[in-house]
Amino acid sequence: MIRLVAACAMLVVSLAVARAADAPRRIVSINLCTDQLVLTLADADQIAGLSPYSRDASQSWLAKEARAFPKMSGGAEDALVAEPDLVLAGRYTRLATRQLLKAKGVPVAEFDVARSIDDAKEQIRRMAALVGHPERAEPHIARIDAALARAHAAASRTHPRVLAVSRRGWVFGGESLTTSLLGAAGLANAAGDMGLAHGGFASLEAIVMARPDFILVTNVRDRPQDQGEALLVHPALQKLYPLARRMVIPERLTTCGGPMLAEALDSLAAQVSAVETSKATPAFSR
Amino acid sequence: MATLALIAVTAVLAVLSLGAGPVALSPDTVTAALFGAGTEPQRIIVQEIRLPRAVLALAIGAILGLSGAALQGLLRNPLASPALFGAPQAAAFGAVVVIATGLADALSFALPVAAIAAAFASVFVLLAVAGRNANLLILILAGLALSALAGAGTALAVNLAPNPYAALEITFWLLGSLEDRSFQHVALALPFILAGAAILLANRNALRTLSLGEEAAQSLGVDVGRLRLAVIAGVALGVGGAVAVSGTIGFIGLVAPHLARPLIGHDPARLLLPSAAIGAALLLAADIAVRLIPATTDIKVGVLTAIIGVPFFLYLIVRDRRALTGGLS
Repeated sequence: MIRLVAACAMLVVSLAVARAADAPRRIVSINLCTDQLVLTLADADQIAGLSPYSRDASQSWLAKEARAFPKMSGGAEDALVAEPDLVLAGRYTRLATRQLLKAKGVPVAEFDVARSIDDAKEQIRRMAALVGHPERAEPHIARIDAALARAHAAASRTHPRVLAVSRRGWVFGGESLTTSLLGAAGLANAAGDMGLAHGGFASLEAIVMARPDFILVTNVRDRPQDQGEALLVHPALQKLYPLARRMVIPERLTTCGGPMLAEALDSLAAQVSAVETSKATPAFSR
Repeated sequence: MATLALIAVTAVLAVLSLGAGPVALSPDTVTAALFGAGTEPQRIIVQEIRLPRAVLALAIGAILGLSGAALQGLLRNPLASPALFGAPQAAAFGAVVVIATGLADALSFALPVAAIAAAFASVFVLLAVAGRNANLLILILAGLALSALAGAGTALAVNLAPNPYAALEITFWLLGSLEDRSFQHVALALPFILAGAAILLANRNALRTLSLGEEAAQSLGVDVGRLRLAVIAGVALGVGGAVAVSGTIGFIGLVAPHLARPLIGHDPARLLLPSAAIGAALLLAADIAVRLIPATTDIKVGVLTAIIGVPFFLYLIVRDRRALTGGLS
């Protein structure tokens, strides 16, 4: 009941706001990252469906909001049935689905993987224009810029080396959102030292040998859910990187480029400040 | 004598495996780090990454070789092996179901327990299907069916779990790997592997008597039904414990006894230990090889054992073609 009232309220509000006349009315998103952007920028009545991972709180920043909309398979079938006038997709995923949709005459907008904070801002602008609300982009961008300024102010003076490592030892390399975030907080991405400038799988041995000052992980679960996650609780890593040497930013803040980056930046800046003031964890001597 | 030589070879391989890895360390450095000298990263690499890996390769290779020799003795058939009968695949299925249903995490004792239960069930079903006088055709067909079912079940369970990294995790369970294991994994697997090995070795005299034929063995006081159950339990314990930390690694159990026979002879009892040593040596060698072969992503050790094991299996079939044709008809 409450949800219904809320939905009605949203509808009234959204109808009240002017929208470009040729704006799409039935948008289907088949990509987790476009989910976040469309949820942020479009009116609720414009969204006809979201991707399968849209409600997964570990990856999707707006998982709760996504529950109000149909969850699609991510494939072409239910996307076609929804009769969309715009399908949002990632540039590197679901190639066959995109081709099929295009062949059926459905307009498909493809979004690149955001590789920097600037990319992310650009994507916010593009999505806002696509959904017929170009004016909605700037407040979100301003929020990211404000967070950037706060991060710069809190940025580390000592530039410790940080390795962003996720399950199975995947390391985020040079041109990535993670590098961009680290740089904003005055941290150096250690991936380059390991010969993984473009990212890749690092063996546990290589990580231990490169010995970054901190590792950046997406959670601090000590009960791994599969063998891929078990790597992050390997005693070798636990010994060199106790909690004080781990920075944590949840996956849902760094997987995609979008308005959630403001939150990611604030979280990283807070952790850098905590480390700088405590001085309990000096850089490893090398 | 031959057994001692095999154990020596295995020990040498175990030491060599401490020297192999993505980070190049000289033999001196490795030795120093093993005994607590060297820098902290070097010590961690040798003591906490390479040592548990070597221990696991040793233990898992040995139990696979031992299980193969015991099964070949029990069925009086040189083509028997745990992997061919679907035991590791079933064990992987058991472990995956426990993780996928959220009953346990990836480092819990529930994992080997579930793997062992599933391995026991699969070997039990197989032998029940094959009947007393194990007909090779039926054994192989039933084994094929069971391993296909278990493999599909594993993939399905990973898919149904809310795991966005399903594809990667499925490969791990189906292909097997020892990469970046820790002593937590050793603690998880070793007790079960030791228990399984103890059961199999304790029944070696019964296996020898059984080689005279089932009726002769009965008349000599061997309870064949009990022996059968004991071997299944030993294989399930060992293979289940192993698979829970390594995924399925195939063909070691098939190949090892065959390499042991020319050295030892055909006595099933005397074959057990040398087969274990050869199994350990094979897995250690394969696990060293996957670290030395240059590749952008790690090669799974199960891939290598299959690449070596399957041609060997085909060779066995060609060699014994005449005898097999007789047995199959």
